Amino acid sequence: MTLATATEPPVALPTTPRRGRGRTQLLPALAFLTPWLVGMVLFTFGPMLYSLYLSFTRYDLLSNPEWVGLQNYALMGSDPRFWKSVGVTLTYVVVFVPLLQVVSMLVALLLNSRLRFLTGYRALFYLPSLMGASVAVAALWRQVFGADGLVNAVLGLVGIENVGSWVGDPARALGTIITLNLWAFGSTMIIFLAGLRQVPRELLEAAEVDGASKIRRFFSITLPMMTPLVFFNVLMGTINAFQSFTGAYVVSGGSGGPVDSTLFYTLYLYERGFTQLQMGYASAMAWVLLLVLAVVTGIFFRSSRYWVHYGDES
Amino acid sequence: MTKPRSRRLLAGAALVLGVALTSTACLNQGPAASSDGQGEVGGTIQVAWWGGESRNAKTNAVIEQFNEDFPEVTTETQSADYAQYFNRLNVQASSRSLPCVVQMQDRQVNDYVKRQTLQPLDDMVASGAIDTSKIPPAVLDGGRGSDGKLYFIPYGIAWDALMVNTTLAEEAGVGAPPESWDWDQFVSYVSQAKDRLPDGTYAVAAGGEEQNAFYAWAVGQGIEVFNAEGQLGFTKEQLKEYWSLWLDLQEQGIALPPDMSAEEPPGADQGYLATGQLMVGVLPGNSLYVSQQTLDGRDGGQLQAARYPDGPAGIGNILVASGFGISSNCDNVPTSAAFIDFFTNDVDAQVAFAADNGAPTNTDVLDALTAEDSELPDLKRDELEQYRAISEDNPPKVNYPPGFNAVFQQAFTRNYNEVAFGRLTLDQAVDSFFNETNASLG
Amino acid sequence: MTTTLSAPSQPTRIPRPWDARTQRPAGNRVVKGIIKHAVLLCVLLIMLYPLLWMVGASFRPGNQTFAGLSLFSDTYTLQNYADGWSVGNLNFSKYFVNSAIITIGQIVGNLFACSLTAYAFARLEFPFKRVLFGMVIATMLLPQHVTLIPKYIIFNQMGWVDTYLPLTVPHFFAVDAFFIFLMVQFIRTLPTSLDESARIDGCGHWGIFWRIIMPMSLPAIGTTAMFTFVWAWNDLLGPLLYLPSSDLWTVSLGLNSFLDQTGQSTYGTLFAMATLSLAPIVGFFIASQRLLVEGIATTGLK
Repeated sequence: MTLATATEPPVALPTTPRRGRGRTQLLPALAFLTPWLVGMVLFTFGPMLYSLYLSFTRYDLLSNPEWVGLQNYALMGSDPRFWKSVGVTLTYVVVFVPLLQVVSMLVALLLNSRLRFLTGYRALFYLPSLMGASVAVAALWRQVFGADGLVNAVLGLVGIENVGSWVGDPARALGTIITLNLWAFGSTMIIFLAGLRQVPRELLEAAEVDGASKIRRFFSITLPMMTPLVFFNVLMGTINAFQSFTGAYVVSGGSGGPVDSTLFYTLYLYERGFTQLQMGYASAMAWVLLLVLAVVTGIFFRSSRYWVHYGDES
Repeated sequence: MTKPRSRRLLAGAALVLGVALTSTACLNQGPAASSDGQGEVGGTIQVAWWGGESRNAKTNAVIEQFNEDFPEVTTETQSADYAQYFNRLNVQASSRSLPCVVQMQDRQVNDYVKRQTLQPLDDMVASGAIDTSKIPPAVLDGGRGSDGKLYFIPYGIAWDALMVNTTLAEEAGVGAPPESWDWDQFVSYVSQAKDRLPDGTYAVAAGGEEQNAFYAWAVGQGIEVFNAEGQLGFTKEQLKEYWSLWLDLQEQGIALPPDMSAEEPPGADQGYLATGQLMVGVLPGNSLYVSQQTLDGRDGGQLQAARYPDGPAGIGNILVASGFGISSNCDNVPTSAAFIDFFTNDVDAQVAFAADNGAPTNTDVLDALTAEDSELPDLKRDELEQYRAISEDNPPKVNYPPGFNAVFQQAFTRNYNEVAFGRLTLDQAVDSFFNETNASLG
Repeated sequence: MTTTLSAPSQPTRIPRPWDARTQRPAGNRVVKGIIKHAVLLCVLLIMLYPLLWMVGASFRPGNQTFAGLSLFSDTYTLQNYADGWSVGNLNFSKYFVNSAIITIGQIVGNLFACSLTAYAFARLEFPFKRVLFGMVIATMLLPQHVTLIPKYIIFNQMGWVDTYLPLTVPHFFAVDAFFIFLMVQFIRTLPTSLDESARIDGCGHWGIFWRIIMPMSLPAIGTTAMFTFVWAWNDLLGPLLYLPSSDLWTVSLGLNSFLDQTGQSTYGTLFAMATLSLAPIVGFFIASQRLLVEGIATTGLK
């Protein structure tokens, strides 16, 4: 397998036509892909291309777009708030994505074990992510991280006082958003949990009989079997983190405040497009993000053939 | 799932997409057809406004009365919270599918005037389709765009005011504020109160980040906030002077610290004044009643509206007008005009609306709501009396240029707080504010 | 512990691997179990405190909603639930129905379209496969906010605004690339040996898809259904744009109407209705997680 990888194409999809009598399966593929192809043409591709066109225009939503060439892209370089949003987003990605994966995996392992009331526990751990972007979340987060909030009340019990607001302090506000989004780790956990159920028990039992420790069983059997889903979670976690919007939007009331400390990239994009009515600039920002994410995704896929093991290539 | 079928589907899909995008490309501005609003009242109109459930209920009550008067009209309603309302409005505007009757405020009307999204209403007023005879001319001017034409008929007026928790003020030994005062008196009033206020309570809001307080300060000195070109009409020095005043108050612990101010929830009924943690707040005068209601739940004292400090040029309390206009893409102008006329002038309907979005502009309605037999709560009536006093004092009008709503407000708060949090110097923040706003205004 | 010990004696039950282990001497297992539960409950209490507080606050009188950090209060009332339920010119029972229609439409659509698409990408060979799969991924890389306007223009041209169609129909055409990708990854963890044996038994692609892959992918199906439910149920922006008329409102729009930054917000009723709006999702979770749990454990034995 390792020898073969060197000649494999960059995107790790099954390409060897071992099945199906050595030829492509065009007709069945077309049949299975019809809904997606129609949707792509009807609902997805047009709007994407239109936004690409808009990125070369000045467009205020209320009048017709006006061609300005590369101006929007050029303006980004000298826009201090653009760079601020890049900084906030990168910090967030680097801190949040690994934390989310580790926490989700740990809880998923815990909830995959033999335990009573498992269904109840799973539902309860999943509960916070159900709140989603509810308008109630902003109020709840102030109750927890406000100057008179829960965190400070607990700190007060152990004698730490006058801590001040967490959501209102620019040095700490991003931390509260990270906590908020981490709080909703449920969906990542569910995918891990579903993956854990896919690992054949016979393998684990055989290893146990051979005397392999729990930790060893996890790293040499469970984790490798799950790599397609680990890959999915890490990649989607990264893409979503780059596009993180809702938490900061709800908590800061859309401003990215205090003083731009939670000004995520997409939050700034949204403000530019819908509040300042500069949809051309917002579209340009979106396409820059698409390019960056395309590179990131490309790297992920390229690396995946060294560590992701699919059931269809064994 | 056979091949011919998928081909047909694809062909159909391509066709639909083609049609959709070509017709989009052909969407044309089309200069707003000027109409005098005369014609048959009937058919369907859509009415859109911002607000939560209590305003929705009151607005729906008015619409019911309108439909009783005009049974041949079908009225479709759209409402959402302020920020969401404008988001949706802009998306609808992008495909020229705005509701016929849209609610506007003088703070952003020029964004829509500039792009010809609204119809001028002057001819409708001239023809009598919309009656404005009961609205004081200075108040009606709130509905004018920067081209001088009338784009919405103000029905409710908010006004900038200070709000004082007199119970806290008594405790602090400074008593109720005087009938009128200047900025020095105001500063010493809150400074004196500071030491005797309970822990966790502040004498005054963080006024440096409040654009409304800045207008009051500037207008009182005779400064025009926006000049005729729609750019900033004040100087960097003037802004520095204003911000320094508040930075000092914050530094001395008199004004609310910036982190607490940043986490203050939106809405007058949720703010620190309403929770009893603030002695003097900077709020629209028409939020006295809702703030007091929250305060009562906490036994937090009694609120009283106060006048902004006067400057050498006089009064600083500014009026903010809200009202209904008609979108350019509306195809039922006579009915829309009839609706606006009804909403603004029908005394019964407006009494039912109970001044929910500012003081009524129609003087008959104002009289009815403040009359002895009015069912309004006393505090709500006090609000309206304060409005009457201010509106009779010939308050100045701020002409908000296009781009104001998008940039000014946020940039003002953010750049002030950059200094308050010690992340920028005062000079840097003022420069940054001027750069940001002048690039987007006009 | 006693019930678990007696479990193997049930004759109809499929033997599970862990059943064997429970027959070992328990030893300090009970103590360990208690510690495990205690730790879990502590973590949960911290995690769920904000939600518990919200539920508590929903039972307080309206003007005391924010009266403290405690879960409990002196007086309890159901007023918020009564007031909240009858809000607007309709009421929440109608909003729940509207949300349910959209949510069910999206779930059915996503399950149908994404699983078909995923099967093609995971198991079939065809020209331009990598390019097309790249397109699936690419649709997730563009922030959705910049395609809002063109999408709105298209739906407006089709006359779909103020109907449920813009919120449901596209999902029957696999517009949620997230789920395509998820299912591709799931299907690819499955060994191809089963496909091969089915093929030898004379199954076509449809047969393999329907009789082998789908039953084996129950966890993926459950996950897709669950996520779609949560996203559709909580979505605010879609209904805000496409369902402006108040008789089509969804639960999320109803919740939003309790807040008004220019007037009066009623957080008590907001919390009450937000609590109620969680109930269907929790119910659906408990129902759909049976799929996750059973998944391969039972169907894999076939």
